[in-house]
Amino acid sequence: MPTIEVQRQLLPILGSPNQGARFFNPELPSSEPFVPGHRTCAGCGPSIQYRMTSKAAGDNTILVGPTGCMYVANSSYLCTPYNVPWAHTQIGSAGSFTAGVAAAYEAMIRKGKWQGKFPNIICEAGDGSASDIGLASISGALYRNHDCLIICYDNEQYANTGIQASSRTPYGGMTTFSPPGPEVPEGKTLFPKDLARMMAAGHPHCYVATASVGYPIDLMNKVRKGLNNKGASYLMVYTPCQKGFVYETPRSIDLGRLVVECGLYPMWEWNPEKRAYDYSFRPQTMRPVSEYLKLQGRFGHLHAEHIAKLQKFANEQWRMMGVELPEALIQAADAKNLVNMSAAAEAETVAQTI
Amino acid sequence: MATATDAKKRMVRINGCVASAQAAKYADVDVIAAYPIRPYTATMMALAQMVANGELDAEYIVADSEHSQLSISHGASSSGARVFTGSSGVGVQFAYELYSPISGSRMPVQMMIADRTLDPPGDFGSEHTDALSTRDMGWLMGWSCDAQEAFDNHLMAYRIGEDPRVLLPQMVCQDGFFVSHITGDVELPDTGQVKEFLPPYKHPYPLDPRHPVSHGPQIMPEQGPPLQLERARAMEASMPVIEEVHQEFARIFGRKYDPWLEEFKTDDAEAVFFLQGAHAVTARFAIKHMRDRGMKVGMVRLRTIRPYPTERVREALSKFKVVGVIETNMGLGSVSSGGVLYGEVCAALYESEKKPLVVSFMAGMGGEAIVLKEFYWMTEKMLEAQKKGKIEKRTHWVGFEH
Repeated sequence: MPTIEVQRQLLPILGSPNQGARFFNPELPSSEPFVPGHRTCAGCGPSIQYRMTSKAAGDNTILVGPTGCMYVANSSYLCTPYNVPWAHTQIGSAGSFTAGVAAAYEAMIRKGKWQGKFPNIICEAGDGSASDIGLASISGALYRNHDCLIICYDNEQYANTGIQASSRTPYGGMTTFSPPGPEVPEGKTLFPKDLARMMAAGHPHCYVATASVGYPIDLMNKVRKGLNNKGASYLMVYTPCQKGFVYETPRSIDLGRLVVECGLYPMWEWNPEKRAYDYSFRPQTMRPVSEYLKLQGRFGHLHAEHIAKLQKFANEQWRMMGVELPEALIQAADAKNLVNMSAAAEAETVAQTI
Repeated sequence: MATATDAKKRMVRINGCVASAQAAKYADVDVIAAYPIRPYTATMMALAQMVANGELDAEYIVADSEHSQLSISHGASSSGARVFTGSSGVGVQFAYELYSPISGSRMPVQMMIADRTLDPPGDFGSEHTDALSTRDMGWLMGWSCDAQEAFDNHLMAYRIGEDPRVLLPQMVCQDGFFVSHITGDVELPDTGQVKEFLPPYKHPYPLDPRHPVSHGPQIMPEQGPPLQLERARAMEASMPVIEEVHQEFARIFGRKYDPWLEEFKTDDAEAVFFLQGAHAVTARFAIKHMRDRGMKVGMVRLRTIRPYPTERVREALSKFKVVGVIETNMGLGSVSSGGVLYGEVCAALYESEKKPLVVSFMAGMGGEAIVLKEFYWMTEKMLEAQKKGKIEKRTHWVGFEH
């Protein structure tokens, strides 16, 4: 039986990855697979991410949307924001439906039933789908190495159902399933599942990376690296949620930077050829976690000891990336020093001293 | 590479599982989603070997669960590929969430089911409850009673489900072990016949980057009912297509099936068994045995339960004095407090001017064979009711009463 060789796309990596730049970049493609007209909230991190990632992918793309904000708020029957094919699937079917699309195109192209270059197949799963109910299906798709990119748009909660805790909700994060009270003053008592590392460790043949909407060019390049990788790739992207995090709407991108600068969202890439982490990404500065926390209502109930606990967690992340910690951040991980306001003030000067 | 495309018509001795796998091969499926559970597993084993041998060019995916099997099938079918999947017992139920989305998006996924009793705990035998519990999810559904019929039903189901007037998924069911693991003579067709019968799958709105479409967006409450109505209409519209396809099948392959009911020795029958699937094979033998002793018994076998042939069932069953429904499924707390077929039969007969007495038999449960003695016992119960002119006991658990 004659088989046709499957041709694949190769997307160029964008230059000038000036992480701080917010000016027009002529290298960006003009195509807009994700257009306005949807019902996401003002400042919605996931939809900003959606625009960037689909723009990086271009028009020969198929999007898969398991249930979540990017299904419920984006698509309204008789009105769609997608300029490329898009399909809803069940919240637990993120990886499996995507695998089905990828397998169909492998077979159809090979058997001459569809002509053209293999499309970019991207799944946009929320962290509830990606870290909880759809985890096995995504692991299956990565393990089997279907040619697709699975993105976890991580807004650290089940948002479209009305802000409930997921396995990605940070310690101390207030949600309607993790409210603070006299018996549980910190609200969420568990630390988040280390989802992206879990994917890299368990599926070392895949390209895996973390990214943030605070660094658009870096995000788009990681999308393209993931798509160019023949086989499965996985991206976990920090996407703040104004409704759940409770912050001033225009600060979505700022939060996307701050979360990286304070060490709560380590940025890295897993290189499947070298079988090694690449920790070369460096934010322009380092900050104590309090600078990130204080902008968000979901952390408003935290006591000094809880903030210190989060600082300790952030410090561990920095160490894991091989970053040497300034003394002020080490001190900020001790609640005693935080209660002593001079230490807190000292910690806040870290940003200026590094 | 050797393929089904150059096969000539030939007789083989295979079981129901392998017959299903052969049908998938002849249908030249593009994507197969497998996950093991007895007794259907052997179908996927056979397909894995065909792919390994180069007899079939398909993406063979070992899924991580039945839920994923059905999601993979949904995604692949949505993209324009012909898909084959399957399961048994609790596996059928693990995937339950996907049945409505697949039929609702009008994707003609095909699923082979070799029935297995549901847990608790771990009974491998055939009981139809697994598939029947999904009967109202918008899938075409029917039972085969032997390996040849299973092969034929798979091919017909693809053609019916993929017809643009229908576009619905199909569950092609067979009893675990009684069909799936018992070998019989099966005629495998010439591939030219299959080519003539089954056109290539062409969905009108697949996920194709050249013609962007959005599948399954969120809707407002008032937008839901029109879509449900569309699906209900598709189910109704499938009825003439099913008849047409059975005729076409008979013309091309020479095997003629009534799409809805098989009637056996019903011409002068007063009491008939009404059932689905493999127990029909033993029922035929039992009926001959009883007829040799002068008893006027017969059998009506339901071949397609979704869509349900209400008129045909009414016409067929109104002729008799007593109908004994052999359930082989559980409908705990249902109309008859027995199985779910009883309610379907009685509802079809409600508008009949001449209503037979209907009694429900819980027989063949747990994968037990229904033996001759039990057919006699059931017939006795039916004749008793006929004599008295009324049903004194609606449901009998066969083997648990005198």
